[in-house]
Amino acid sequence: MQWNKKDIEQYIEVKEYVDTLVIPLTPFTLNADKEMVKQASQAELMEIYAKEIERQFTGRILLLPNYTYQTVNETEEKRLNEWINYSEDNPFKHVFFITFDHQWKKVEKGIEGNLIWLPTISISEIGSQDSVKLIKEQVEQVTELIKSYW
Amino acid sequence: MSEKKQQVSRRQFLNYTLTGVGGFMAAGMLAPMVRFAIDPALQPQSKGDFKAVAQVDEITNEPQRFDWTIDQTDAWYESEVTKSAWVYKQEDGSILALSPVCKHLGCVVSWQGNSDYPEQFFCPCHDGRYYKSGENVEGTPPPVGLDIYEHKIEDGTLYLGKAKPREGA
Repeated sequence: MQWNKKDIEQYIEVKEYVDTLVIPLTPFTLNADKEMVKQASQAELMEIYAKEIERQFTGRILLLPNYTYQTVNETEEKRLNEWINYSEDNPFKHVFFITFDHQWKKVEKGIEGNLIWLPTISISEIGSQDSVKLIKEQVEQVTELIKSYW
Repeated sequence: MSEKKQQVSRRQFLNYTLTGVGGFMAAGMLAPMVRFAIDPALQPQSKGDFKAVAQVDEITNEPQRFDWTIDQTDAWYESEVTKSAWVYKQEDGSILALSPVCKHLGCVVSWQGNSDYPEQFFCPCHDGRYYKSGENVEGTPPPVGLDIYEHKIEDGTLYLGKAKPREGA
């Protein structure tokens, strides 16, 4: 389910079936042009991934809005852990963070949820046949991974 | 020809004109009504809703998944939406195209998605199951069977339309 009125209203009715949170992590910069382009294109791609994963598991996953941050540091790490504790009380069993930012990979051990780090694929055109196929294959692998945690 | 026969009497003249004008007015009123009444039949029978999905000779007795995209326009943006179907040939040779969307909470089901239940559709979210016909297995979460796509075959190509809930669902 997605973070919109219709889905959330449904979620409230069927809370006991939805036990997995997915939170995309997307960084942003404002002072480095090249970096901005890269991050923006990754954010675009992330939206597709997140929606596609949600589509496969609509009835069991709640996809939260993107979390945006500048750099990965201790404060951010602590924040993720706070969310995990909070979501476990309310009562989600699994929390998945999904990101293209490799900085998270380094602090993965300190995060109590599951971090899914994906290597970026650079594709010129998101809508092209080849990229659709590529994305589908990657999504399939991610969904398999999520399934293995259930 | 006598002159008398060609003459139109006042009564006749009035009769003709009144019938003519009256008829014209009646037609003016009825024509739009008729147009409204038959309008649904004139609509281009949602032909554009059908999308070419597969070649008929690709379809086997084993359900296969086919994906295609449709353009969906809502108030804010136009987007491409991916649709999928599980398609196979039934024993009588007719084609059945099932929607993969679980009737429980909307996850995507897959054919033989769980090795414990061969010959069934399986939903990974809450272990919902469906028989090959798409009927839900009693005792698993889904309340009804999978939706069935409208389909038609033209020149060896399978076209799918809208997914319709089962009768009595």
